[in-house]
Amino acid sequence: MKSQASHSPLDLSKYRKVPAILMAVGGILAGLGFLVNPQQFAFSWLLAFMFFLSLGLGALFLVMVHHLFDAAWSVPIRRISEQLSTILFPTMALLFIPIALLAPTVYPWMREVHPELDHALHAKHPLFTMQGFYIASAACFLIWWWLSSNLRGWSLKQDTTGGALPTYKLRFYSCVGIVLFAVSLSLGAVMWMKALMHEWFSTMYGVYYFAGSVWMTLATVYVITMILDRQKVLSAVIHANQYYYIGSLLFAFTVFYSYITFSQYFIIWNANLPEETFWYLAREKGTWFYVGLVIIFGHFFIPFLGLLRIDLKSVFPYMLGVCIWAWLMHFVDMSFNIMPILHPDGFVLHWMDLGCWAFMAGVVATVFIRKFAAHPPYPLKDPRLSEAMGLYHDMPDSLAGEHVSHEAGRQGGKS
Amino acid sequence: MNSSSKSYGIIARFNNTASLLHAAEKVRDAGFRKWDVFTPFPVHGMDQAMGLKNSKVGWFTFVGGVTGYTTGMLMIWWMNAIDYPLVIGGKPMFSPFFAFPPSYELTILFGAFGSLFGMMFLNRLPRLHHPLLKHGQFAQVTHDAFFIVIECSDPKYSETETRKLLEQTGTPHIEMVEE
Repeated sequence: MKSQASHSPLDLSKYRKVPAILMAVGGILAGLGFLVNPQQFAFSWLLAFMFFLSLGLGALFLVMVHHLFDAAWSVPIRRISEQLSTILFPTMALLFIPIALLAPTVYPWMREVHPELDHALHAKHPLFTMQGFYIASAACFLIWWWLSSNLRGWSLKQDTTGGALPTYKLRFYSCVGIVLFAVSLSLGAVMWMKALMHEWFSTMYGVYYFAGSVWMTLATVYVITMILDRQKVLSAVIHANQYYYIGSLLFAFTVFYSYITFSQYFIIWNANLPEETFWYLAREKGTWFYVGLVIIFGHFFIPFLGLLRIDLKSVFPYMLGVCIWAWLMHFVDMSFNIMPILHPDGFVLHWMDLGCWAFMAGVVATVFIRKFAAHPPYPLKDPRLSEAMGLYHDMPDSLAGEHVSHEAGRQGGKS
Repeated sequence: MNSSSKSYGIIARFNNTASLLHAAEKVRDAGFRKWDVFTPFPVHGMDQAMGLKNSKVGWFTFVGGVTGYTTGMLMIWWMNAIDYPLVIGGKPMFSPFFAFPPSYELTILFGAFGSLFGMMFLNRLPRLHHPLLKHGQFAQVTHDAFFIVIECSDPKYSETETRKLLEQTGTPHIEMVEE
């Protein structure tokens, strides 16, 4: 890994226009789609929205656990998560507007002629009313705005003052935030995704979305860290252990996601109650059955076996592949949750899916890059930064234990 | 291999971790294979200083886990679908879903067995006696002494050269250990 240290900084300037191109092409496709088939557009938009919402929520979680555990190792990569979490507001809130406007074409429960005769709606009253839907949606974005802006704001304040107050404030927002986060994330997942089949109930659904979200966010943070390290932006504060720890968390969330997904399925399968099983039966029709198998093997077995070895978690080209795979699998997973309502006979990769996804990818990338470039790339005056940099004790340069040269082994070590 | 079969190895004592770490780096760079470091507590960076590779225990754990999972699945399939089929709750005679929780438990159990017995196998444990236990000062290793031991069976070992190498590390005490 240290052999790259001698290379010149990674130059990505030729890719500078990619977000704009994605936005333009995706925007045209999405706009065209809206005119051709508003319902398909709404579902494709929801799919892309839930995909990128995962990034913001996963990043917000990573920021909060960092403060809750008073972690040292994640200080150099904290700013990435902080900036990524602020896409929740206003970016994702603005991207939610088409869903808010087209909600009745997306959610079958809003189209019911006699909602008072539907027991499932009655049981979920007053959440599953038009007012309930919009109030819950607004509450989610307000909570995420309050948390992400304060967690980023106080962290930036710490850069200038270096005082103790920001640290205490950040801990406060994390402590309050983790509870609000759990509630709001579940609410979002339920109102926007699970409500597509409103008769269904599963107390694990919020955790299920959470596990998948943090999983793909970790993959994203790994790649961003890797790129910034190679661009010499983070190379002064990053060691091999950061990569190893993100890789380990990615591995842990691979298992956690599978555990949650399997438990949800297993309990419903075992109880065999028609009011629960219909959700899965709809997802065993046609090619959806094979999509389910893709999730079992692609979302669990392949990354599980692929991340088992300790040394592979530090091999960049390999991990880049794992992270691209994680994005692909999260997309498939979101599709598995959303699309059987529109395409009950089987999986369809519609051009509008790609269009909406590309547009949002462009928007999120542009916003993130602009925010990240405007501020220091890591918390400059965090009290634990020097610990993370290995000023107190040697940082292993290879956790896989391979033989390192005398100089490399000492680098960043002895003060 | 070595002619002086009476000797087990050469032992050098150190009084602090810093000198021990640097000595370990020297021994590592000299290319010795059959040597070890003994400390009263874990020393950060020692794996690196000794040039230790990742432990092979993980492979035993992995094989144990795979064995456990397969055993669980096969056991439940054979018992429920072949040996004594019983219809329960209209479920199929065998399904990987209901067989998963016990198979998962067996994965963990056999994985743990693999780790424990793999570790013991690789360390050649249990072992009732070790030549170092006869060495007078060695008992201090659980208190405040740090040791490097290079075995005579190491291909690079030579009575004079190895002693010279250890002397260069600034150790206050070098001694031979009898088999």
